[in-house]
Amino acid sequence: MPILEVKGVQKVFDNRKVLDGVNLSVEKGETMVIMGGSGCGKSTLLKIMIGQLKPDGGEVFIDGEEIVHLKDSEMDRVRLKFGMLYQGGALLNSLTLAQNVALPLTEHTRLDRKIIDIMVKMKLAQVGLAGFEKKMPSELSGGMKKRAALARAIALDPSIVFYDEPGAGLDPIVAAVIDRLIMDLSKKLGMTSVVVTHEMKSAFRIADKMAVLFKGRVIAYGTSDEIKNSDNPYVQQFIDGSLEAASVSAKDSTEEYIKSLVEGN
Amino acid sequence: MREFAGKIGRSAIGFVKHVGSAWKIFREALYWIFIAPFKGQPCKIKYVVDQMNLIGIGSVPIVALVNFFFGITLAMLTSYQLKQVGSQELMAGLVGVSFTRELGPFLAAIVVASRVGAAITAEIGTMAVSEEIDALETMALKPIRFLVAPRLLALLIMLPCLTVVANVVGMIGGYIIGRFNLHIDSSFYIKLTFDYLVFKDIWTGLVKSVAFAVMIALIGCYQGLTVRGGAAGVGISTTQSVVQSIIFIIMIDCMFNAWFYFI
Repeated sequence: MPILEVKGVQKVFDNRKVLDGVNLSVEKGETMVIMGGSGCGKSTLLKIMIGQLKPDGGEVFIDGEEIVHLKDSEMDRVRLKFGMLYQGGALLNSLTLAQNVALPLTEHTRLDRKIIDIMVKMKLAQVGLAGFEKKMPSELSGGMKKRAALARAIALDPSIVFYDEPGAGLDPIVAAVIDRLIMDLSKKLGMTSVVVTHEMKSAFRIADKMAVLFKGRVIAYGTSDEIKNSDNPYVQQFIDGSLEAASVSAKDSTEEYIKSLVEGN
Repeated sequence: MREFAGKIGRSAIGFVKHVGSAWKIFREALYWIFIAPFKGQPCKIKYVVDQMNLIGIGSVPIVALVNFFFGITLAMLTSYQLKQVGSQELMAGLVGVSFTRELGPFLAAIVVASRVGAAITAEIGTMAVSEEIDALETMALKPIRFLVAPRLLALLIMLPCLTVVANVVGMIGGYIIGRFNLHIDSSFYIKLTFDYLVFKDIWTGLVKSVAFAVMIALIGCYQGLTVRGGAAGVGISTTQSVVQSIIFIIMIDCMFNAWFYFI
């Protein structure tokens, strides 16, 4: 049974279909990378998968439990099964790193304070931030913030970790460090990872499976090799990062834009 | 005309929606303050104490300063008028009643709305745009419990305290004029003040301060939680928070005064 399943999910914003019947299935311990250009609906899909947004149609199953129709209080129970790494880390700026990582542990467990302190140290060491317990988020670099946020996301040893653009805004070396951590969590601890990104190098490095979104639909789905060898022109254009291709042409886009300006549409 | 009516209608619907959402937040905050502690989920005491320090202790100097000068101004204005009828000593009671019933709670609320309401919106708004509130929700932690309830409780405790400070300091301002300009004896001035003050004057002022506290906390937190559009959005919401708080304080003050006037 897949640990995460998305069935026919639809979402409309202001009469614009952002997601148009998305289907996805992620097995336990797998790293699934969801790719797509800006505005293709991947962030919306992520928000729906973590229960932050309700879809207009379709179903989402986490560990066999349908979450779309759950009440907020019931959803809290499901939320303990997953962690989330936000694009900017989203650490609470008023708390130290140790307090940030300890937050889910103090709120959702009855563990002794000393045990929590040990666990916090372990989680921070796991992401290479041993000794940084007393630092405030504002004192850290972007990469360190993300690593600390990852330590917080895995504080409760969740089955699934969602990542929103984990490499965004980082230099290639730091991005590779984050990728290594994602792979370690998957390989060593058996955590399932769902990564939303548009960075090709990182995506091919970490993915067991990939899904490419285009205009709210999954247009390609499979292993890294299958995606690389896809005959879909948009997928190839997306991988190559080229301006000219059958699906979206920079020249066509520019001409269309000028035409719309001239015609006033 | 039709377009204008449509605009009014849409604004009215928008206002009702905002009130509905704010009411929902208020209800949930009340739950975390008064009901959840009995279910083994107490409001975070550390956060409440931090907010009390920030909101209350931090506001004492400015509340005192504003009310002191207002006390002097009121004393000068009233003694100038009362001089016409030869009853300048009545100024002591007039200052006392004005501050306890109206100026103390009102000025303290205006100062807190400008200082603290804006800070609440800016802080929560910044958290909203940097996804910290989303992160709390994803960790199954209730943002209302962590962010709104401590601020509301701190304001409910500290604004009445600040009102007492405002009342006392305002009366001291009046005393300065009475003692050094009108040459009224200190003990006589104090006697005159308490002769005209009744208990109702004090409790009506404190009741108003509780209502103002709810309004400042609710508007500040609601504006912060609903920030959209990054740093610019935080700026807009912070301004709206202060403006709306001041408008609602004046409206509520008027309603309470009407109520207390007729009972």
